Amino acid sequence: MSAPAIILERPQRWDAAFDPALTEADVDRLLATAPFNAMQPLAFPKRTPLREILRNDAKLHRFRRGEIIVRQGDYGSSAFLILNGATRVVLKPDLPPALLGRHAPVRKGLFRTLAQFWNGRRPPESFARSRLQASAGLGARVADQETRVFLQDLPRVLNAHRTEQMTAGDFFGEIAALSRMPRTSTIFADSDTAELLEIRWQGLRDLMKYDDALRRHINRIYRERALASYLRATPLFRHLDKERLDRVAEAVEFATFGDYDWSGDYKRLAQAGAVRPEKEPGIVVEGDYPNGVVLLRAGFARVSQKTGGGERTLNYIGAGQIFGLREIAHNWREKNRPVNFQFSLRAIGYTHLLIVPTRVMEEIVLPSLPARELPPLWPAAELSAEEPPPELARREQVGAEILEFLTENRFFNGTASMVIDLDRCTRCDDCVRACAATHDNNPRFLRHGPSAGGIMIANACMHCADPVCMIGCPTGAIHRESFAGQVVINPITCIGCKSCANNCPYDAIRMVEIRDQSGELMVDQEMRPITKATKCDLCVENHGGPACERSCPHGALTRMNLNQLDELSRWLGK
Amino acid sequence: MNSPNSAPQFDAHNYARPNQKWTCGHACEGRACRSGPDAWGRCQATSECRPVLETKPGETKGRWRCTRTEGACDEGPLPDGTCCRPIPKCAPVPTLRVWRGRITVGVVCLSSALLLLLTGHPVWRNRFINPGPVSRVHSSTAFTSRALTNGAAGNCAACHIAGDRGPDGILQAALQARPGMLELGELIRQPAGHPTGMDTACLRCHGGRNFHQPTAPLVSCSVCHAEHQGRVMAAAQDQNCGFCHANSATMTVARRPAVIHHFATDHPEFRFRTDQLADPDTLRFNHALHLTGATMPRLPGGSKLDCASCHQPDATGAYMRPVKFADHCRVCHSLQFDPDTSQLQLPHGSAGFVSAFLRSLSKQYADLAAREHPADVTTFVQQKLAGLRATVGSGEELERRVFFSSSVAGPEARIGSLSGATRAIFPGCAYCHEVKAAAPGNAIITPPVQTERWLGRARFNHAKHTGVECAQCHDARHSQATADILLPGRAACVVCHSPAGGVRDACSECHTYHQPPQIAAR
Amino acid sequence: MKRHRRQLFTGLPLLLVATVVTGYLHRRHAGALPGYAFLTGWVLLAAMLVLTFYNVWKKLPFLPFGRSEFWLQLHLYLGYFTVVLFLVHLNFRPPRGVFEIVLAALFTFVSASGVVGILLSRVLPRRLATRGGEVIYEKIPALRVACRTQAEALAVGPDSQSVVIGEFYLHRLADFFARPRNFWWHLAESRRPVAALLRELEDVQRTGSEAERVALAKLAELVRQKDGLDYHRSVQLSLKLWLFVHIPLTYGLLVFTALHLALVYGFSGGAR
Repeated sequence: MSAPAIILERPQRWDAAFDPALTEADVDRLLATAPFNAMQPLAFPKRTPLREILRNDAKLHRFRRGEIIVRQGDYGSSAFLILNGATRVVLKPDLPPALLGRHAPVRKGLFRTLAQFWNGRRPPESFARSRLQASAGLGARVADQETRVFLQDLPRVLNAHRTEQMTAGDFFGEIAALSRMPRTSTIFADSDTAELLEIRWQGLRDLMKYDDALRRHINRIYRERALASYLRATPLFRHLDKERLDRVAEAVEFATFGDYDWSGDYKRLAQAGAVRPEKEPGIVVEGDYPNGVVLLRAGFARVSQKTGGGERTLNYIGAGQIFGLREIAHNWREKNRPVNFQFSLRAIGYTHLLIVPTRVMEEIVLPSLPARELPPLWPAAELSAEEPPPELARREQVGAEILEFLTENRFFNGTASMVIDLDRCTRCDDCVRACAATHDNNPRFLRHGPSAGGIMIANACMHCADPVCMIGCPTGAIHRESFAGQVVINPITCIGCKSCANNCPYDAIRMVEIRDQSGELMVDQEMRPITKATKCDLCVENHGGPACERSCPHGALTRMNLNQLDELSRWLGK
Repeated sequence: MNSPNSAPQFDAHNYARPNQKWTCGHACEGRACRSGPDAWGRCQATSECRPVLETKPGETKGRWRCTRTEGACDEGPLPDGTCCRPIPKCAPVPTLRVWRGRITVGVVCLSSALLLLLTGHPVWRNRFINPGPVSRVHSSTAFTSRALTNGAAGNCAACHIAGDRGPDGILQAALQARPGMLELGELIRQPAGHPTGMDTACLRCHGGRNFHQPTAPLVSCSVCHAEHQGRVMAAAQDQNCGFCHANSATMTVARRPAVIHHFATDHPEFRFRTDQLADPDTLRFNHALHLTGATMPRLPGGSKLDCASCHQPDATGAYMRPVKFADHCRVCHSLQFDPDTSQLQLPHGSAGFVSAFLRSLSKQYADLAAREHPADVTTFVQQKLAGLRATVGSGEELERRVFFSSSVAGPEARIGSLSGATRAIFPGCAYCHEVKAAAPGNAIITPPVQTERWLGRARFNHAKHTGVECAQCHDARHSQATADILLPGRAACVVCHSPAGGVRDACSECHTYHQPPQIAAR
Repeated sequence: MKRHRRQLFTGLPLLLVATVVTGYLHRRHAGALPGYAFLTGWVLLAAMLVLTFYNVWKKLPFLPFGRSEFWLQLHLYLGYFTVVLFLVHLNFRPPRGVFEIVLAALFTFVSASGVVGILLSRVLPRRLATRGGEVIYEKIPALRVACRTQAEALAVGPDSQSVVIGEFYLHRLADFFARPRNFWWHLAESRRPVAALLRELEDVQRTGSEAERVALAKLAELVRQKDGLDYHRSVQLSLKLWLFVHIPLTYGLLVFTALHLALVYGFSGGAR
């Protein structure tokens, strides 16, 4: 019997619905409520009708009073619409980290540092039972197979913090969903019957695209809340005064590209070889008229160039980087010799970007720049040349093999990837031992991983620029450390739900069965082992930086920002 | 696995923990158990699950339920609530690092034990720790007996306080050493060559330090004399001398401006030259005449005069014997004062004897006559005296001539003659000697002084220089005056005694630090 | 790579300068200073202790004492310099006493093993990266057993029907799969034994039936896989084994040095 050959096509977005439990009746009910009842179903294309968007990209949640819906600082890929009841947003002061399920990492003091002398024989990941029972005014309940965390002493919270109620019809979380910025405030349910609709970013994007009211609404609050401060922090605009910056902000367009997430289908796609540059959605196509400068806000994009048969990757750019400035600056100065986009820019998975239109650039931004900050003109010779220009020549330094390797595996997401020089590594495991010595005798990484071109990206948390692991943590245990931004897990509030481990596309989070101090595995009432998610915390609690890097005797291991190739090319030193 | 370079797949969902000292004994079969061995290498495996007791409302006994993670097993828990599937205990395996640690501890223990054993054994100890052969002198039976008479032990303990002790004694001695182990500053601060405790041991047999300069600082014997370096104790090194002599500061303090590093480079010229010394001898001797004079008679054997005719080495060959009139001069220079009487000669050695001899001339002639012509003594004597009187006049005149005549000066008439191919006839004492008039009728002859050694601070061995012509160093053929010191300058030595010349030029080749050694016997 | 060459550019000149300075001091003071041997001895001991401290340092990775890379560089160059110090302490003369010969021999072994070690550490990783498939050393036994189990199932398991393959497995492959093989061949970078094995396998394959050929192809793949594991075991083990000489002898040397110290002090200045 021959099984039908499985052809792995790019999965349709709706292969797996966001909420499989959502019934047709629910969808009907949603279509009858605001704002969906005001939307024009006919405005949606056949491929993505409004009904299907709701059915597949939305999820119904019911919360009781005091249950936390989103936490300040969380990463999320979805927005919420209040259908019934009320929620409350915490304005000032912020809730303490303990109430958000976090603990501010403190550097080990002298005693805890020295205590590691004699802790070497402790069983790995052992906890004092008393430590695990400590809960800071938080309770938990399991509902709909999901764990809900609630504030136990709600009156005190309401007393101590200024809050504001949000009621049915209100949207929140849309900016975080679209731009992958951390949630700006904590929101919890204010009535026992709060019903919320969670819409994932793909659905939200489509709703925005085809519904003018929603788009206007989101654009407005985006411009109000997020844009100005972001633009002000962008070097390109630092010479503008407030009035002109506002004019830029007014004109900026933004867009979200890509079909799939890091966390979900990416690995399967990559392994099936379905990820090819030509298939990725183009943000800018080589040869187009330069209609604006692209500012990458979140996600990654590939810079490529047409060659005989297809396209070759020259570089990739990540959040904060700018594309197309050189062309536009050239055209502004050499009006009689305009050039088109010289390279293509393609979204790799989810990408969020801002586009500053050419007109605004020419009228406001470019005149403000001093001459030395302007990118060089395109000489006629270079336009026809096959070779990439110098700023893209990193590719040559890093080598095509490693560049493909990094792109294929999406390693450029890492801000602190563990890169091992295999030509230098003696496999002595000093790094692993150092990690274990500083982390409860449990090394928080695996000295093994994909390798190419003489380097290995070990299986350690890369502290991604876009940390998809942080999406969906029910207790807020996994979070960014507030100061330097390392992604850390609070073992006390981690409930072992594996959502972060499953989300991580790099397998960098591992569930570890914890023990008590005698070495006995801890179990719950059901005698199931208690697990905690563990991963590299970049030695946030230790002195002297990551122990793995410090302990490598041969300088073969380094923690490196792979968002840009500069550091890697310097390190490879070729 | 397709390409030989791709990594074999293995369970990446668990951390590898090479930091742990023990691994599960089942790990090599790929079946490591969940709990793993503890830090002391004890297997902690129990059973696959821990059943939980469920009591339904109304029930009293309850039921044990399997809680295995992989799903409940078919058999279910035993009635007493234990799991029916015990995990077979393993023998945990120590990691390579544990072995490395064990080997390290083993090596340390073994070394310590071995060293304790060897230093604890009285016979093996000395053989084991002796850093090198003791010099022949210090390992002789003579040394042992002398050490014993001088109140020291006859073995290593003769010099070393720790010499005859076991490990504890050695340690004790080491802790009592001065400067002590932790007094590193002392090593730097203390004056170089500071005497050590070891010197006490040396001085038991060797008399006090006889220094070539009383101002020289007190220096430990061991600065120059290194023991345990072989069967022969090596001579002091140039650096040892140079410690003072190459140090301008020290030499300035000692008011000796010369700073000397090597003989060939900066050793000063010999003192007799720099001070322009002259031979103070009053004896007139013309080397040039004797060696090159055309009129020089041949020696009785027919050979010409040469250096060796007069200068002969002593028994060791190191130095030359003093030249003696009787042995070397007399063969040509006769003391025959009466040209007609060759049998009668003046005595040599004392002016008084000569005076007495001359004043008793008749007796001398009589004795001669008695020996030669016993029949006619009186006539013989009369005849001789008359002959003398004919040339000289009086006895006083004769004595004056004998003493004060020389071949070129003195009383107008000579008593002898120098010319001719035969032996010279006595020309008068003043021919060679400095003769002074004293009380009337008496003469004083300044005794000649032969300076035995001009290089008072240095040794020289003629025997080692037999390959060199005498004239190469001693320019006698051109020396006419007695005052000439016929020794070469430093430059002549340096020709050979220098790195370029290839002959040893160490200080100790010529110089001796101590005064002649004295062995003190108490 | 550049960053490592930079270390060379700072380390080597420092080493040379230190050597020249030591040589100068030696020429100036050797023989003239009676405490010279003591001073050089203490400096040598201090250097040896600093070198040994690297081993201790490695056990304290949680203390913020800089990077191990720096300490290894220090260890290396100080190690080379210690050899110079050692020769100076010996006054460039071979020792004559039994104990001192053993002491000097220990020092020589420790230094030599260190030099061998750093050579291995620089040469072997390149080879590891190019052959055999990256694998964690501790996992090799389990992987080898898995290999063997698969091979046995293929050749002599209940599903295998070929007597030829079974015979061949029992005679030629059983031993190969049973334990690590060809340590020295792998270290010498020679593939001769596995090539011979694969040739024999091919010979059997040529005469076999279709099913046998498929099974043998799989078996050949397993042989290659096992050979890769053996290769990694050999090379990774060599990268670890040199320390089995270097570290124990280091501590042994320290024990001998302690006695040397006691002897020197007990016997030199102790006659008072």
